[in-house]
Amino acid sequence: MGIARIRFKFEEWLDAFGRLVKFSGEIVRGVYFGRVITFFGEALRQSGVLIIGSAVVLWTMMFFIGLQCGIEGAYLNRALGSPAYAGLFTAWCDLREVAPYAFGWMMSAKVGTGIVAELGSMRINDEIDALEVMGIDSVLFLGATRLLAAWMVLPFVYIAGIGGSFFASYFAVVQQVADVSSGGYALIFWLFQNPPDLLFSLIKAMFMATGVVLVACYYGYHVTGGPVGVGVATAKSMVANIAIVHLVAMMGTVVFWGTNPRAPIGG
Amino acid sequence: MNFGSRAYEGVREFLAETGEMVILTGKTILSALKPPYPYGGEFVQQFLFALKLCWFPLMVATVAFGYGAPGLQAAQVTSLFGTVDRLGGFFVLASIREFAPFVTAIVTAGVAGTAITADLGARKIRDELDALAVLGVDAIKNLVVPRFLALILITGLFNVYALMLGVSGGVVATVVFHEPLGPFWATFFNNASVADLWGSLIKTTIFGAIISIICCYKGMSAKGGAEGVGRAVNEAVVMALITVFAFNYVFTQTLLATHPEITQFR
Repeated sequence: MGIARIRFKFEEWLDAFGRLVKFSGEIVRGVYFGRVITFFGEALRQSGVLIIGSAVVLWTMMFFIGLQCGIEGAYLNRALGSPAYAGLFTAWCDLREVAPYAFGWMMSAKVGTGIVAELGSMRINDEIDALEVMGIDSVLFLGATRLLAAWMVLPFVYIAGIGGSFFASYFAVVQQVADVSSGGYALIFWLFQNPPDLLFSLIKAMFMATGVVLVACYYGYHVTGGPVGVGVATAKSMVANIAIVHLVAMMGTVVFWGTNPRAPIGG
Repeated sequence: MNFGSRAYEGVREFLAETGEMVILTGKTILSALKPPYPYGGEFVQQFLFALKLCWFPLMVATVAFGYGAPGLQAAQVTSLFGTVDRLGGFFVLASIREFAPFVTAIVTAGVAGTAITADLGARKIRDELDALAVLGVDAIKNLVVPRFLALILITGLFNVYALMLGVSGGVVATVVFHEPLGPFWATFFNNASVADLWGSLIKTTIFGAIISIICCYKGMSAKGGAEGVGRAVNEAVVMALITVFAFNYVFTQTLLATHPEITQFR
């Protein structure tokens, strides 16, 4: 692979990235300036689709992650000789780091690829062109309504999922490994978190969700190449989404907890 | 249709699908072992394809995860106690035992798995699979087996790569906290054990098997034209992630409970 080819690849990538940002800007403007209110009914329908189709899957994933955090926390703290402090590990694992990751992964797997498949098949069946012909702003009708639906519904889904992962950690630490009593676990668990942590975690998750929805809309809206193209675009959107989810999560950690551990230890 | 019968239908469909996947797994393993072995070329091609697609997302994902989650957060707790050198020991748990395997699984399922489903799904709806059957070519031997073997091998190899990059995230976190790296490596190698590494490798190869079977099955059973391929990819990646995490929980729990020596902090 010569230099020219690398340069070509890089330019191609940069070009695609620019288009993605421009398209995302269009969608976000549509929601931010309230033009999407015209299609509020469609946004409500999309919210319903999110709740019925995706909420349970998201919760399942976050539940498994909670179990995982629980057993790792229990065994780590047993090894350190402080089994009562398993709550410190699970509180941070669930709330700050891994549950948002699980949410992001499942968002890109379930909601993201779902949107690409749906919009992509609309594109190759010429339904998007039909919308344009009827004088409907298709970016607003297809993209902005989905983003608005995500913003309306996902905070609640996410907080419920966090609750699920808390329960799962409790189950793994107290009921399964059983090194610490229920009350002793709860004391440390609730000591090492407070409402601002939940808010930061929610902000992190919502940035991930927004990124996933925007990327998915971009890939779905610009599908080319028939039925095969839909599959290829769906697969490609996962690549971009995985990178976005991880970068957002890392940036969130750096911004919210990077210089201030927010832990009740010492001064 | 009332809720009861809908739930019944859903459960029945799920069980039928699971059964078919188990059958596909058995057939794939048998067909991989029984001669003839015509899948060599396709195997190499699939391996290189997955390598080409996955290496960059894997790098971004593992470094970001290693720096953010176990790196910064654990460094903060340990720096409150003045023992940031213990981060090395923590990374054995965090990176080798936990997140390197599952980030590898996420990236492989999300990138290579979706590509496999899209590819096989496209062949299915263009009736190419039926054409192969008419020509007397065994689709399982020629399409599923090479993908199965390629993903098993590549997730195992990616795991090594992922845990090195994940630990490098921890190195960055240590440097950010202005700590020397010597103690980090000392506690890391004190705590690292062969059982951990083998557990991690076996776990990821099984992840690879799960992902390849689910993605091949979903691709080969795609139906319903254009929308069908997209929907197959969607279902495949969701199912692969949930199955991988459920399996991960059972595996980790068994490993930790049966090998008490790896849970000792040294």
